[in-house]
Amino acid sequence: MIKVEHLYKKFGTNEVLKDITTEIKKGEVVSIIGPSGSGKSTFLRCLNMLEIPTYGTVVVNGQDLTGPKKDVQKIRQHIGMVFQHFHLFPHLTVLENLTYAPMKVKGEKKETAQEKARLLLKRVGLAEKEKAYPSSLSGGQKQRVAIARALAMEPDLMLFDEPTSALDPEMVKEVLDVMKDLAKSGMTMAVVTHEMGFAREVADRVIFLDHGVLVEEGQPAAFFNSPQTERARDFLEKVL
Amino acid sequence: MNLDFSQIVPYIPFMLEGIWVTLKFVFFAIILGSILGTVLALFKIGSIKPLRWFADAYTSIFRGTPLILQLMIIYYSIPQLTGYDISPFLSAILAFGLNSSAYISEIIRAGIQAVDKGQMEAAQALGVPYRAMMTDIILPQALKNILPALMNEFITLTKESAIVSTIGYLDLMRRAQVVGSDLFRNFEPLLFVGLIYWCLVMGLTVIGRMFERRLKQSD
Repeated sequence: MIKVEHLYKKFGTNEVLKDITTEIKKGEVVSIIGPSGSGKSTFLRCLNMLEIPTYGTVVVNGQDLTGPKKDVQKIRQHIGMVFQHFHLFPHLTVLENLTYAPMKVKGEKKETAQEKARLLLKRVGLAEKEKAYPSSLSGGQKQRVAIARALAMEPDLMLFDEPTSALDPEMVKEVLDVMKDLAKSGMTMAVVTHEMGFAREVADRVIFLDHGVLVEEGQPAAFFNSPQTERARDFLEKVL
Repeated sequence: MNLDFSQIVPYIPFMLEGIWVTLKFVFFAIILGSILGTVLALFKIGSIKPLRWFADAYTSIFRGTPLILQLMIIYYSIPQLTGYDISPFLSAILAFGLNSSAYISEIIRAGIQAVDKGQMEAAQALGVPYRAMMTDIILPQALKNILPALMNEFITLTKESAIVSTIGYLDLMRRAQVVGSDLFRNFEPLLFVGLIYWCLVMGLTVIGRMFERRLKQSD
């Protein structure tokens, strides 16, 4: 589903990603972990071209995002993204947040979009909030709406950029539960996270980045129990 | 003290008519200024360099020279250069619209840049095209932040509109002067239109507050 080859990203002279090559298969849940400043978020943002790679190729669903003839907008419709700080549209109600893109981008009818949106809100447990504005929601509720908003576009792939890092501790679980549900439903997911529990339980594969380099990847059980590299061992010692 | 307001009574309808005359061109100038200002603001934040330069140069010229000079240039030079006899009304709309668009573009640019960058990213990540993102997501949020500054600009424009009296446009100000020279008493008519200007500005202020309240709905 996603193929990344020799990906480099520089901000000025600062090389944030160095020669990353990896693959995410359909239906796979991949956790991207690593210390802060390791380039995890930048890597994720390169997957839907919110950051333009300096060098290398990113192929999504057989389409080369980094190629000359790319329709990034079109491809982004199939890639949902959830941000650390939610980024809900504050001037729209919860329901409008969910229906805006399907109506505007995919030309869905209002009734259809609303019907689907209501189902999604029910799925994330917020059916009664459809008329509320984002400012009246708690962090956990906002993030669940944000997930529903991304799902409303019926993406093939979901990117999560530290979805629980801005939440109060007691709200982390409700968001992780929604994500676990999503993983069970077979959604392809790439999750940048500090939640090692989630990575261990839910992910099919863990990618460990440090200083912009893909240091180690593997199955969570193997990675967490017997990391192969010194740097991964160091990191795990600090966070577990 | 030599004050006699009863003298201006016969002239009151004449002066009141000035309200309509002033509002008419102020209205069109605000529309022109807002549209042009929005376009210029989009140029300024856009990625196309020549458009950015143009918008910056435009702002620099219209902010850097007196409004009365711009008005005079438009009113006197267009007939001289093109032979087209431009009316005071049209000159006034052009001068005020072009001038205020420079200020409005700066206000809107600041407003757009104050909207959280994440809003743009969220819209982009959903595949929303640039135009729709701007009109549906970014500008409505920017508008909410800049409404006080924008109202300020509209109020300034309404008051400064008195400058058009210098090209013989029969606005409120000009009418006060006409009445003044007719009566050989200036204070009364000037005070009278002063009061009218104040009422107009108060009206604008109330409208602005109403808008602000409506936009605050989502807070």
